[in-house]
Amino acid sequence: MTAEQKKEEQPEFIQFRYPREVPYEHALGYQSKFANALKQGRIIATKCPVCGRCTIPPRIVCPFHHVKQTEWVDQGQRGRLISAFKINFPMFNSRTGELQNWENPIIAVELEGGARMDGWCAETDPSKLKTGMLLEAVWRPEEERQGRADDILHWKPVEE
Amino acid sequence: MAENLPEISSEPIVAGVTAHSNFLVSTGATGTKFLSELRDNKKIMGIKCPKCSKVYVPPRTHCPTCFARMSEWVELSGKGSLSSYTVVRYKEPYMPKEPPYAYGVIQMDGADTGMAHILGEVDLDKIKVGMRLEPVFKEQREGSILDIDYFKPSS
Amino acid sequence: MAERIAIVGVGQTHHKSKRPDVTTAEMIAESVERCLEDAGLQMKDVDHLVGGSFEVADGYHCPDKWIIPELGAVGKAGLELQNVGTTGGVLAVASFNIAATGLFDTVLCYSWQKMDEAAGAFGRGGGGANEYWTGQFPMSPITNFARRTYAYMDRSGCTEEHIAMVRVKQDQCALKNPYAQLRLGLTVEQVMSDVLLAWPIRRLHMCPTTAGAAAFIVCPEERAKKVTDKPVWVEDWFTCHQGGALTMAEDPTSSTLRHACEVVYKRQNIKNPVKEIQAWEVYEPASPAELRWMEEVGICEDYTAWKLFEQDKVGIDKEVPFNPSGGVTATNPIGATPVVRLVEAALQVRGDAGEHQIPGKIERALATGYGGQGENVIMLLRKTL
Ligand SMILES: [Zn+2]
Ligand SMILES: [Zn+2]
Repeated sequence: MTAEQKKEEQPEFIQFRYPREVPYEHALGYQSKFANALKQGRIIATKCPVCGRCTIPPRIVCPFHHVKQTEWVDQGQRGRLISAFKINFPMFNSRTGELQNWENPIIAVELEGGARMDGWCAETDPSKLKTGMLLEAVWRPEEERQGRADDILHWKPVEE
Repeated sequence: MAENLPEISSEPIVAGVTAHSNFLVSTGATGTKFLSELRDNKKIMGIKCPKCSKVYVPPRTHCPTCFARMSEWVELSGKGSLSSYTVVRYKEPYMPKEPPYAYGVIQMDGADTGMAHILGEVDLDKIKVGMRLEPVFKEQREGSILDIDYFKPSS
Repeated sequence: MAERIAIVGVGQTHHKSKRPDVTTAEMIAESVERCLEDAGLQMKDVDHLVGGSFEVADGYHCPDKWIIPELGAVGKAGLELQNVGTTGGVLAVASFNIAATGLFDTVLCYSWQKMDEAAGAFGRGGGGANEYWTGQFPMSPITNFARRTYAYMDRSGCTEEHIAMVRVKQDQCALKNPYAQLRLGLTVEQVMSDVLLAWPIRRLHMCPTTAGAAAFIVCPEERAKKVTDKPVWVEDWFTCHQGGALTMAEDPTSSTLRHACEVVYKRQNIKNPVKEIQAWEVYEPASPAELRWMEEVGICEDYTAWKLFEQDKVGIDKEVPFNPSGGVTATNPIGATPVVRLVEAALQVRGDAGEHQIPGKIERALATGYGGQGENVIMLLRKTL
């Protein structure tokens, strides 16, 4: 056998692909109150009596001080931009399993009440986003809300 | 726990989610040899350890006892004896056959290990440990362990 | 009193994007064969195993069932562990803990990922993100590091060109490492014009998907001295985990690396890390992460690491020998990646790293594992006790 022939001969390696869909049900537990607040168009967080930090996701104990949180606190409808990025390539939508394009930047917002959360930004041009800029929550119509974080459609920049 | 803001319900919520995955499994050089022999030649091949001489079917690359690399292939007749079995009567996604069906562990002649497979052409109430079996190959074969359709009682 | 422990053998596969020629278990066996050969031991000498991968990207249930027989290790004591990207670090720390009890003589740690089989797993939001909280976002390491880097550039004055310099440095190191996956011969211009994934992250900035495995053997002192004349002492180790780092942390660029290093430096009385540690293998999932990590491990002041690249001070034979193996942007078999860092750091201490060996005596080397959104594992190695 010549070297040339050898090169052409690709060894066979058998592989299998197995697509699967697995349904899960995750209990929100204590965090259910946060989800119920979303249905009312409100964002609430738990507050630590030691450090005064408000946390989203809400937790029974402060992650830093291991004491029970004593208070739910309304976080308001406005916040400031902490970080942002825009996805420039098709990425999987975990809810459909399909690849898709994503127009809106994903941002982290520090709310008036002090807690931080992720969201979509209404402004699609990332060059118009500045750390610290003021943003306001835009909600889905009440009848469409499901108690999920995407009941907040997106965050819209507000003139100061 | 915080219990203020009574106007907001604490009613428990369960969030449903479907996870999607699409894994690929490599059978490797050893697995490919075994599966392609099933597909192309309707042959069941075992592999022999150079140290302890045990013959494994289905094959693996390293001997589980000696951690020696194995490369000596042994052609088996495919005939063997049933060493254990069960009858599957419930239904789940991704099953290889419609229940009810029997599957068992077949101690292949010339091998030191049992191989699990489906039993066919047999009365589900008359299966007996120790009964002699032989493979029935599918007409259309694609390089899969299911190229053996099932094992049937041999005459 | 715990035993002093040493690494007596290491092994890894030649990391590749695809390995259809081996099963997962066979790939692991390859690294274990090399590790046993390096230590001059046989499987019968091993009395405890610790193994694992980033399980959600694995596609196997009960991986032990497939792996232990392939390793010829049936009936031995063993654990399987996993913790996202830090998996290898968690495995290493568990192996150290087990060896330090003195109850076991020869502990084999094996780790793997076969990403050529698992790309589909990452479709579901960063490989297992919490559906309720992040399900609406297409989260992944790419997006995690895009937002970290956005905030880092915002605060530091670092530009896209500096990030590209980091990537080129990593590639120059990888070119000298025959086990590395991506060995590309890159220029700054090539990196800056590469496909944009999520600004400022380009494709070349992200760790690749890798099929590979890595293993090491760790022993208590007495046994280690019998097995090898080149033991690599494990001086200290520490794990630090943190969830939801980015919305909770005061500084979105930070991880737990600074805290983890502070703990270890204090315990070992390390005052000037850049002088007292001569080799670094720090898990950087994206090239710009290397900048922040250099600051967090104490090499330079906050938001200044990019200046070291501008001044050409980072490289195998330069002032700061950071990630001489080429790092994670060259090679990333996720579950094994922290073990690859440890293996490479151990080779540096032994002086056996070959073409990418840092010149001069390596008294100390620091390896880390990173995972999730800010979890870190610290592994500090030493040449002499
Ligand atoms: Zn607190
Ligand atoms: Zn054997």
